[in-house]
Formats: sequence, C-alpha cells, structure tokens
Amino acid sequence: MSNKPAVCVQIEDDLLATAMGEAVPSAARRVERHLATCGSCRREFQEYHTVDSVVTTLREEPLPSGSLAQAREHLEARLADLRSRLLVYRIFPSPLGHILIARSELGISLVEYLERGTSLRASRLRHEPGVELVEDRGELEAVYQDLLEYLDGRRKRLEWPLDLRLARSDFHRTVLQATAALPYGAVIPYAGIAQEVGKASASRAVAQALRWNPLPIVIPCHRVIGTSGALTGYAGRKVGLKQRLLSLEGVPTTKRAGVLGITPQAMYILYPGEREYCLPTCPSFDTHPPAPLTRFASREHAEAAGLSPCTTCRPDLHPISH
Amino acid sequence: MSQRTFEAVMSAHHGEIYRYLRRVIGGSGDADDLSQETFLRAYRAYGSLPIDANVRAWLFSIATNLAKNHFRSEIRRSRAYGEVRASMRETVDPAPLAEVVSRETGALVDGIVRRLPLKQRLAFTQRKIHGLDYEAIGRSLGCSAESARAHVFQALRKIRQGLDGHGLLPKEPQR
Repeated sequence: MSNKPAVCVQIEDDLLATAMGEAVPSAARRVERHLATCGSCRREFQEYHTVDSVVTTLREEPLPSGSLAQAREHLEARLADLRSRLLVYRIFPSPLGHILIARSELGISLVEYLERGTSLRASRLRHEPGVELVEDRGELEAVYQDLLEYLDGRRKRLEWPLDLRLARSDFHRTVLQATAALPYGAVIPYAGIAQEVGKASASRAVAQALRWNPLPIVIPCHRVIGTSGALTGYAGRKVGLKQRLLSLEGVPTTKRAGVLGITPQAMYILYPGEREYCLPTCPSFDTHPPAPLTRFASREHAEAAGLSPCTTCRPDLHPISH
Repeated sequence: MSQRTFEAVMSAHHGEIYRYLRRVIGGSGDADDLSQETFLRAYRAYGSLPIDANVRAWLFSIATNLAKNHFRSEIRRSRAYGEVRASMRETVDPAPLAEVVSRETGALVDGIVRRLPLKQRLAFTQRKIHGLDYEAIGRSLGCSAESARAHVFQALRKIRQGLDGHGLLPKEPQR
C-alpha cells in the first residue's frame, strides 16, 4: 500500500497529465502550487518528464532496413489477389423478379435471376470457388437504374464494362462475346452463333454456353433462338422471360401448337455476310444456299445496326405491314 | 471502389500501421501479416465507410482488433502447451540487472511496454507513439475515452517504476 500523503495521492493524475502536457490549465496551476511545496512529487514530476523524452526517442526509432518496403510489397501482392477475387453484389427488385448484380474490378460479372429467394443463398455465387463477396453500398445503383430503363424500353443499350471470368470455359466466353454483338431488335439461330465462332456444327454447345450465360440481358442471349423460330430455352425454363425481353425490342412472337416462337414472315432478313437487309420474300434468296439468317423486328432496327435496304426487294419501298 | 483512392490510403497509413503493429506485437513476421490483414479488411469495407470518417483512426481500430485477436489466440496456444506468457502478466518484471546495464534506456522502456497488459500496451502505443486522441483509442479498445486515458496513465506509471527500479531516472538536484 502506498505511504504517500493523501494530498499527493489526490493530485497524482493531474501531476502525470501536467508532465505529459495534457492537463487543463486549472489542474496544471494546482500541480504547480503543489510542486512548490512537495519534494517527492517534484521528483516524480521530473521522472515523468524523463519518461516522456525517452518515449519520444521510441517514436523516432528507425525500422530495420528494408522491413517496411518488404511489408508493403507483401501487402500489394495480397491486395492484388483480393481485388481479382472480390465481387461487390446487390440484389434488386425488377419487373422480371429479383435480380442479383455483381461487379468485379474489371466490370459487371453477374446478372442473375434469383428463382429461389431474395438472398445470396439463392445465388450461384455461393458455389463459385475462390470468389469473395462484399455487399454493395451504392456503387451498383447506377447500373440498376440503367437496367430498369432498359426493361421499360427507355434504353436500348447497356454499355457496361463486362468481366466474363464467370463463364465456364474459353469456348463459352467466345460464344458470349459473339452474342454480345447481336443488335437490338434482332434474332439469330444457335447455328448462326456457332458459325460466327467458327464451329458450324456446335449449335448444342452454343446453347449450353448460353444456358450458363452469367450476364443475361446485357449479353442478349434472349436474341438467340431455334432454327425453326421457336424460342426454345432461356436461363433454364424461363422462356416466358425471353418472350418479354424480345417483345420489348418489338420482335413479334406467337404460340403455335403450344410452342412459343417468332413470327418469321413479319421480320426482315439478313443473309450471313451481307450488308443489305431484305423482305422475307426477297427473290435473291432463291439463288443463295440455306444458311442461318438474322431477322430484324423493324427496318429501324436493321438500319440502326448499320444495314441498308436490299436493292432487289426494296424493303424501304414495300415495308412489311404489321 | 476507386482503386486510386485506396492506393492513397495505403500510401498515407501503411507505414504507420506497420510500425504500430510491430511495437504492440513484437515479431516482425506477425506484424507484417497483421498489417496486410488490416488493409485487406479495410479494402473490403472501404466502400461503406462514411465520407467524413477518420480513416486513420479507423485503420488503427482495425489493427487494434486484429492485435487483440492475435493475443487471444496466442494465449490459447500457450495454455494448450501449459505455458503462461510472462508478457501477459499484470506486474512488470524488471529484466536481470546485467542485461539492463548493457541496454539503452529506450530499449528498456520498449521491454517494459512489451510486458504491459494488452490494453495498456495498445493504449500507450496509440497515444504516446502515434498521438491518437483518447476518443479514438477508446473506440478501438471498446471502452470510454476516460478508460483509455487511465490505461495510458497506468502504463506510464509502470514505465516510471520500471526505470526507477534500475536507477535510470535522474535524482532531484540538491538545493
């Protein structure tokens, strides 16, 4: 137990604070008065001064040579790794149901229709190896607004930087890149994309790649249909969503014998490799070998894609009557 | 998140956080690991940090939490091997005299600080080495500013006692 006089014990905290330069003026004056009469507290005060100056030398103590640079180097490496794996995500309501949007440092990496709930548990991201997830606090808001504008027809393009690393293979990535180039208001058969990526007989593999499209809507796999004109599948069994997205672009669809499909006679045609679009009845097709055709919902859509009207069938003079 | 902004945060504070962790943890390897972890956690949460937040105090707070966790797991490990770390004892054990004589006073203070109870060591280092205010220190330790101040003062008392025990403090001149 301390044998200090009570007055010294009472002033102890103020004394320390004064020695450290942290005391309020009234406390510092009280300490000053006390020190004038108390030798042992004066000694204690000086000792704290000494402690303070020793601590100052610690503050300026140099680090072992190179240690900080090495630590920074390690940090940069781990941060680069984290950046490459980190996805910022958020789940938004939309006219097509709840949609999860995720972005990496490279761009938007996932647009996912959530079927079984409105939380991350319903997302495929839970099963993606190596991915680290952080919930968005506002960064994705602008992307969401773009998407809403697209879904209510006020926007025709989603010009986001994309990150295709969630695609399942290089072939899938190639298919997705070819699909990303499909113009608004156009449809093409799977065989057309297969031909586009240099694997004319790989229609089924193309369909599989699009089934796992990590970026539906923005990579418009809804514009890829069966050769017969049937809409076939979309993101599993969501063919109704495919019809809604196509209708938004003005693509006419009908249900025949219980199967949803486009209405080919109501669409303009582009033969592969051509720069002119035609009426479905254009006589020049009689001389062309059969090939996967791109079809456009309107002349405006075809011309917005940089095409001109065919000089034989003159769709500009005889537009399809809807 | 803007990469450039976080780069600026790293450039401004990495050195300081690394020094802080070296001082409170001791081993340079652990301090290296924990300073990396501090900034990785900060990177993940940076997007949700309010614009007017005190980034420096926030980083100290993350580093302090990591240091506390580090010591908790150290204690668990020590207990598993039936050891009690001298560094975690409440009392300050002066080093043997022969050792003291050969060391500088600064190194002695360093040794005393390392043997302080964890909260005192963290509070002392944040306040006296890095100049953080008591509010920020209290937040990082999960206590009030007053308690943070009490931890710092307690640490200073022990340092003074430790130096006094080795006759390293000046005597008052005779009048």
